[in-house]
Amino acid sequence: MRNNAEDLALPAWQAAIDPISKLLLILLFTLAAFTAGNLPSAIIVLAASFILALLTKNLHALWGMCAFSLFLILTMLLIQGLFWPGNHTAAFSVASLTFCQEGLDHAALLACRILTIIFSSSFFIQTTTISENARYLENSGLSYQQVYVLMSVCYILPQMQENLRKIQLAQKARGIAPAKSLLSRIKNLFPVLLPLIVKSFQQAMNRSIALQLRGYANPKRRAASLKQEYWKDKFCHRLLIANCLVLLGVKACLIIFN
Amino acid sequence: MDSKEISSKNKASFWSFKLSAHAMTLIPAAVGINYVAKAFAEGLKLPVWLGSLGTFLASMLAGPVAGAISGFINNVIYGLTLSPVSTVYALTSIGIGLAVAWLNQRGFFKRPVTVLPAAILIALVSALISTPLNVIFWSGQTGIAWGDALFASLVAKHVNIWIASFLDEFVLDLLDKTVVAYLAFLIYKQLPKRLVYFFKGTEE
Repeated sequence: MRNNAEDLALPAWQAAIDPISKLLLILLFTLAAFTAGNLPSAIIVLAASFILALLTKNLHALWGMCAFSLFLILTMLLIQGLFWPGNHTAAFSVASLTFCQEGLDHAALLACRILTIIFSSSFFIQTTTISENARYLENSGLSYQQVYVLMSVCYILPQMQENLRKIQLAQKARGIAPAKSLLSRIKNLFPVLLPLIVKSFQQAMNRSIALQLRGYANPKRRAASLKQEYWKDKFCHRLLIANCLVLLGVKACLIIFN
Repeated sequence: MDSKEISSKNKASFWSFKLSAHAMTLIPAAVGINYVAKAFAEGLKLPVWLGSLGTFLASMLAGPVAGAISGFINNVIYGLTLSPVSTVYALTSIGIGLAVAWLNQRGFFKRPVTVLPAAILIALVSALISTPLNVIFWSGQTGIAWGDALFASLVAKHVNIWIASFLDEFVLDLLDKTVVAYLAFLIYKQLPKRLVYFFKGTEE
């Protein structure tokens, strides 16, 4: 999710989709990827989610998210290709290692699922801001407390990262050099983490007092009004939930009858 | 209203589901600690995640519900910002939050000698919840090199995939949760008393 709306100039159709529909879209794609029992159908779902991700036109961020799971995908190809219990047809050999077709297909199916989750999530991440989410969730009936807990994390994180940077710089200035041995590195954790945690808890305590003094639990509190109109949001929710239920039904049937 | 007055107003039962103001502000701080500690461990190239340190502290300070919510939100936010696949482990984080609070209530985090069995139990809870998720989503793997090396060697010896996946997860969790449990124990001991009393909702 983006922090500010200013850096988010979206095409009209992307801005017209509400945040809950975008979350339901992630669920729909994930269910579709897990319902697809073979590689060709998983690739079709993957291609659809990839097109959705491409529409955000932020390939750099998309690559960043894929890179996070690339190691898992590579180890899957290696381990499943070599040791998957259903392996029996040799595909190719590297040195003395024989990779089997069934294991590689299975690993490719799993990789499609991972990438589908990433691509569909990236659409939500790249097209939604924290404040838009908070407003929409509160207007949808979530209490202010729940919305506060969910959304304040996104504002606190940059503050904590800045605190961490300052503490690390201060420790360096005091002559605490980065340690080479593993034990020394673990020992060095404490002098950095303790001040960071104490400061974070002190700020949390101050926020708590401020919230109570401002009457955060006031039942008459009015939710902030939405800044934009969404296209048939309730209809989209119902449609997406119905599709998710259909996919769950199909998956259940596949499990029972196979 | 001073901080002591507000703190006693916040006092709630151990398993209360109603979020008080102190839990509401503690949870985002705990999630932030999880996030930063994980990034810090990655930066130092440590063989542990440390991504549950904030959950441990939230459970020790404000009970199981605050701990469980911290863990859950941590995975959701991490999933919606960096790594969408980690969202599935929100269930594991809930389990860790509940287990830490239960063990803390039974005095496991009072002395260094009892922290180790607590860490083993928490690692066991974490592995038990994560194993079905690993098997369903990634055919038993964890995506961590040396854990997956163990998994591969076990599968090669025709060990059942569930057992291999459980052992893969358990060895990783055992090291991580032991380091996190001792870090949380040491940090908790060093926290200013007024912070501890405030978040616990108890009188000094």
